[in-house]
Order: sequence, then C-alpha cells, then structure tokens
Amino acid sequence: MKSLRWRRIALLVGLALTSLPAFAHKESDAYLTLRADAADSHVLEGQWDIALRDLDFALGIDSNHDGQITWGEVRAHRTAIESYALARLAIKGDGLTCTMSPMGQQIDEHTDGAYDVIEFRSTCDKDIPAKLAVVYQLFADLDPYHRGIVTIHADGVTTGAVLGPEVPVATLDLRRPDRWQEFRSFVTDGLWHIWTGIDHLLFIMSLLLQAVMVRRRTDDPDGGAVDWIGGGGALVAGAGGTGGTWVAARTRARYEWVPVRSWWPAFIDVIKVISGFTLSHSVTLTLATLGIIDLPSRLVESGIAISVIVAAANNLYPIVRQRIWLIAFAFGFVHGLGFASALYGLQLPPLSMAASLGGFNVGVELGQEAIVLAIMPVAFLLRRTRFYRDGVLRWGSVIIIALATGWLIQRAFDVLIPGFSAILPT
Amino acid sequence: MQPLRRPRLFGSQCSASPHPLGCGLAGLLLAVISLCFGDAASAATHFHPYVPDSPDLVLQRVPSMTDPRVRAFDSLRNRLDGDPHDMDLAVQLADAYIDYGRSTGDARYVGRGMAVVQPWLRQVPTPIPALLVSATVLQNRHDFTQSRATLTALLARDPRNLQAWLTMATVEMVQADYPAANAACVQVAQIGGDFMGTLCTAQLRSLTGRAQQAYALLRLIEHPGAAAPPAIKGYLEGLLADAAMRLGKTAAADRHFRAALQWTPGDNFLLADYADFLLDQHRPAAVETLLEGDGSSDTSFLRTIFAECALHDPRAAADAATMRARFAAMDRRGSRLYPREHAEFVLYVEHDPGRALMLARANWTGQRSPQDMRILLAAALAAREPQAAQAVLAVLARSHLQDPAIARLTAAIQTAMRGAPEVAARSGTSP
Repeated sequence: MKSLRWRRIALLVGLALTSLPAFAHKESDAYLTLRADAADSHVLEGQWDIALRDLDFALGIDSNHDGQITWGEVRAHRTAIESYALARLAIKGDGLTCTMSPMGQQIDEHTDGAYDVIEFRSTCDKDIPAKLAVVYQLFADLDPYHRGIVTIHADGVTTGAVLGPEVPVATLDLRRPDRWQEFRSFVTDGLWHIWTGIDHLLFIMSLLLQAVMVRRRTDDPDGGAVDWIGGGGALVAGAGGTGGTWVAARTRARYEWVPVRSWWPAFIDVIKVISGFTLSHSVTLTLATLGIIDLPSRLVESGIAISVIVAAANNLYPIVRQRIWLIAFAFGFVHGLGFASALYGLQLPPLSMAASLGGFNVGVELGQEAIVLAIMPVAFLLRRTRFYRDGVLRWGSVIIIALATGWLIQRAFDVLIPGFSAILPT
Repeated sequence: MQPLRRPRLFGSQCSASPHPLGCGLAGLLLAVISLCFGDAASAATHFHPYVPDSPDLVLQRVPSMTDPRVRAFDSLRNRLDGDPHDMDLAVQLADAYIDYGRSTGDARYVGRGMAVVQPWLRQVPTPIPALLVSATVLQNRHDFTQSRATLTALLARDPRNLQAWLTMATVEMVQADYPAANAACVQVAQIGGDFMGTLCTAQLRSLTGRAQQAYALLRLIEHPGAAAPPAIKGYLEGLLADAAMRLGKTAAADRHFRAALQWTPGDNFLLADYADFLLDQHRPAAVETLLEGDGSSDTSFLRTIFAECALHDPRAAADAATMRARFAAMDRRGSRLYPREHAEFVLYVEHDPGRALMLARANWTGQRSPQDMRILLAAALAAREPQAAQAVLAVLARSHLQDPAIARLTAAIQTAMRGAPEVAARSGTSP
C-alpha cells in the first residue's frame, strides 16, 4: 500500500474492482425517421430525435454550466445542432444527390430523458429510388456505442436499421415486399454460395468422383466374378466404427477401382448422395438461421474442412464403400451450419424468413444439380481411362486432401499458412 | 426557473387493482408468481414532440460544473484538445469518464472513455495503457469474454500491470472461475501491496464460503485513515455489508450499508445493492424512502417498482409500464446493459416465468455473481424446470457460497429435482 497513493487506489477500485456496475440508463441512442413525401417524389421528410445529454457533450448546450438544460439554451443552439447533425447524415442511392435543410425544432421525451427533435427535409435531384443507402455518422468519434435507430416509411412500406460507428451504412429497400422476388434473390444467393464456396464444392465432388467406379478385390482367385460389394455392405456395417481396422487387418487383400458397367447404378448412387446431403444440411441451415442452434464458426468451418478430408480420403482408402450417401448425410449437418453463415443476422418477419430460407435452399440445390450434371456425364465417359482412375480419382483426391488439410490447420488453429491463400481463396 | 418537467410517458388512468393473492413480493427471496397487479398498464401512449412554452423550462439535467469530477474531466478534455497526440492525457481522461460513468450510473460515459483512446487502439502493437482502457470498458459493459482476452494479451506483454490483474480478478469472480480469480488476487497482492491484496481476496472469500474471513479481513482495513478518499471508505463499507449479509448478520449489514451511503451518497451501485438487501428483509417501505426521487435511474426505478408491488402501491402499474417501455427501448438498440435486471422484472413484475427463465439463462452465459445465481434459481423454480438451474448448483458445489437466500432457493430446487415439482411450486408461490 505504501507504494500507491490513495488517489490511484481510489481510481483502481473504481475502474477495476466493481464487477457489475449498475447503470442508470441505457447507452446513447438517437431516432431517425424518414418519410417519403406523397406529393413530391424527390423529397423525404425527416425527423431526428437526439438526446440533449449527447448534444450537450458534443456541443456544450448548457451554456451557463448550471447542470440544467433549458428550452432557451436548446433554442439558442438550434443552428449549431442542425449543422452538426445534418453534416453527419447522408442519403444515397443510384447516383442520387440529396441536400438536407432543417425545417423546425421541437422537444420530445423518450424513456431516458429529453431529446431535441430536428425536423428536416431531404431534397434529392432525382426521384427517390427503391433502394436507399443511409450513411450515419453521428457521434462516431465520441461514443462507439451510440446507435442510430433508423426507420423509413414509403408508400405503405416500413423498413429500418440500427446503425452506429461500427456499422454506419445500411441499404434499405423501399419496395413493397415481393415474396416471389425475395425468393428468387435468395435462390441466386444460394446458387452463388455453393459455387463460390469451394469447400462445399470439393466435398460433393469427392463423393461424386467414385460414383462411376466400384471397388473390386483383385487377389481373389475368382477375379471379377465375385463382386464383393454385394456382401461387403454387411461386413462393413457389422464392423461398425472399426471399419478401418477391418481393412487394415486384411492387408494382404488387394483392391482396385473398376468402372461401373452401366449408367443407372451410378446415377442412383448420385441421387442418394445428393438427397442425403440435402436432407441434413436443410435441417441445420433452418435451425441455425432461426437462431435455435448457434455454434462458433471456427468449429463449423473446421468441421467442413474435416468433411472434405474424409470424403477425399475415402477415395484412396475406402472405409465406407457402398453407402457413400451416409458420408454426405452425416457431414451435411456441418455444411448446413456453414450455409447459415450467409444468412446470419437476418432478422426478417416470419413470411420473409420462410421465403428467404426456402429460396436459399432451392438455390443450393440447383447449384448442386448443376455440378452433378456437369461432372457426371464426363466422369461416366472417362471412367474406363487410366487418366480417370489415377489422374482424377487418385491424384485429384490427394490434392483435395492437401487443400482441405491446409484449411483445417488455418481454421482450427486460427493461423495463416504463408502462401496458402494464394493457391485458393478460402 | 421552472421545476424540471417530467411528463409521464403513459396515461395515469391505468388502475392498479391488486390481485386477490396480493402483492406477494417476498423481497426477491423466492420465486413469487402471485400477480402483483391485475391489469397491467396497457394504454401506452407515446409522448409527442412539442414546443415548450417558456425558455426557462428545464428539459434535462446534465453533469454540472459544481461537481469536481466534471471540472476535472473538462480541464483534461481541454488539455487534450490542445495536444491530441498525448496518450497519457487521453488515458487519464478516459479513466475519469469511466469512473464517473460507473459511480453515477451514466453508461454513456463508458463509451465516451472508449472513444478517447480509439486513435491508439488502431495502432499495432496497441500501446498498453490504451489496451487497458479498452479492457476496462469491455468489463464495464459486461463483455467479460472479450475483456478477459484483452487482459490476457496485455498481461503477456506487461506481467506486472496492477490494474490489469485487478480487472482480471473481477472478471474471473463475475464468471465464477474462482481459482483463476485467486491467482489474479495473488498477483494483485504482490504488485499492489497489502491493502489492494486484502480488498481483492476479501471479495473472493466472500464469494467462496469464507465470508467470516472476508469480514474479519475487511474489518482490519475498515478505517484506512483520514487521507483515504471517501470513495474508498464507501467501497469498504459496501463490501463489509455484503459479507455481513452472507453471514446472516442483518443488523450489521444494515449499519455498513448506511455508513457506505454516508461516504458515497447517491452511488448508483450502492443504492441498488442496499435496496436489494432491504427487499430481502421485507422492508419495502424503506426502499421507497431510500430511492425517493431517483426514478431517472433504471436500476433504482426497478427496485422502487418491486417495493411498490410489495406495498400494493397504486403507482405500481403505471411505473411498471414505464419500465417496460425502457426495456423495449433497450431491445430496439439491440444491446442490454442489465440482462439480469430484465429477467428479475419479467419474473417478479410481469410474472412470466418461462420468459424470465430464458432471460436468466442468457444472462448466466455472461455473468455468474450471486445475484445471477438467484434469478436463475428462482426462474427455474417458478417455471417448474429445476433442471435449468443445474449450472448454478454445479458452481455452488465448487464454491460453497454462503448466502441465506440462495441456500433456501437451492433447497427448493433440490426438492423439486427429487421429483416433487408440486412442492417446489408451492414453496415458490408462498411468500
């Protein structure tokens, strides 16, 4: 204690030792309302409620420093308040330029005190477009926890956003909610998500590559006469989780990939894989988007990387031989959580939510089918070539495993492997 | 000068008709699910913008220059404006803001403190003092996970940082990681000396079943001499009150609370703590007197409503509606500073055990102080889901916390778990 002065101790106790401070009010909020003018399509009428305590902190409204803000003081600062606030708000969209002009000043009471009400008009050089961007920078330099609660009313549509120093811009859609349109836009999102999500893509590809091949035992005296897959399913199923040991225990047995004879069995396999994947990822996608389950993204992303490794490794050392769709089904749960990251934070009314979730799922589906349609015929035609068996199936899987291992390390340990991202963006 | 105009947000026509069961708010002791008042104030009419009639009308009270703390940070702010690159000055100002925000309960000042050091937080590596401010702000805003991460990084670079160890001890205590808190307290004692070490360890002992030791230790430093600032003396008396309360020495606890309030009158945290104690002691009238005129503070106002309920005060319905609007305003901004208080409000005033339990569980993921244990136990009991309080029982089994109120709730939960839910529900409803 000798080493510390009392003032320092008092400050330390105040800053560090009070575990759960009891706050008297919520943090700083301002309420911004914009209303499309029915008579003039170039005009938005605005109302901006800003707490007097915040304005006092920024501009010093309490001129006589008596700890009381009077209406006279607020009125005297009207111009200062208006130019301060309106300079920190912009309305943009489609090359739109708008100028803000103050129209009036009032006072309103909110739950945590008195607010100055700035009435203003935003006059734009064109018709107000259906998509508006609001750029909100009030108190960005004074309080990182300030929030601007923005509401826009236009032609029977009400939309809004909560903005602040960390998220200063929102693009708001003023069109009437068009569910079909909403659905379609999410279909596109879903499509893109699977096409640009290289990890989802590689997972499906790894499972598809072997659909045109079957595993056959080569050291069997009867050669190809015994298609062991017929009974193998039972053996693998019997061995359960120790399938790997089962394979290792019969090291002398040798297998090789041989092309399927006809299109249909391969096609049925693919249908099973895709359906299994769809079934499980739809479940977790829905649960995660509705906020019912919430796993750390690091865990999910690492899980996805593991799924790619498992799927590709199974092409080199097949453990699951017949029921490939089981892999797709099991890991689909993890991929669904990954898809949900694209919809994360989407707070929509139930109907919009159904439309967007459904649309996104359909998009993901269409994306998958497109991949299947692109790969399967080529794979089927090439299945008898050495190029396919060694070059595509074996070395392709090796490359996929290497990539996915890289992702796994990066995601699980949160490190960057130098140069790795240059090969493929994650 | 006209008096402060405080228009009521809601119509006063909402009558508070007490439920036949009465205002059964047995303090916050048990999960009281009898109705506090029949019809909740439903006629919520929002106040509309207006132009005041007189220029002298007082619209808002703000920190006054007569307050030395305000003069101090005003002069710091002026100096910083003159030399915006002086980090030491910025950190001093940030600390002054945060300390002011904590003692007055004005959460805005915590964010303002953060803003002051923002330019240095963007530097790599972040200077230690600025990092410490951000850890303090995160801790104050109940973002304990981020605060701990920042402190861990900071202490790796500066292992003898007293304030960082103290904050770490606090974070670990709130999150009920008592071995880690103890390790931090040991560092505090080594770096900061006996006085700081005693403060730290006494708090920890009070939480871990050794309230007797805590009380004895605090009595040793109770009178730190004339040179000690009132804030320290008030703080010590507050800790003594808590320890006495844990020991069941209610008369002593009351004495310490009143002594604390003499040193730091109007301290928002202390008022809330004392009001909770009085509610536990079935002294709602004393709560109304204590918090009279402090209605602009949410935490005080909430306790006033609890007291009004217990007293069948006709103001309860309208005040509850006002409080509901305040919680709704917090929901709109999307962040809550007092999740526990919200759960308490929903359980004891709204009588919605299911939602209270949901809120109490969400609260428990962030903070695990004795009050957080209580609300989760009480909500689980009221919602007839005793299993939901399992996490609390697990912490209690490790910490051996002494606390008469928590002991009663725990016993009720255990009875309920043994398969007698009706018993639990009954003991929960009877005040």
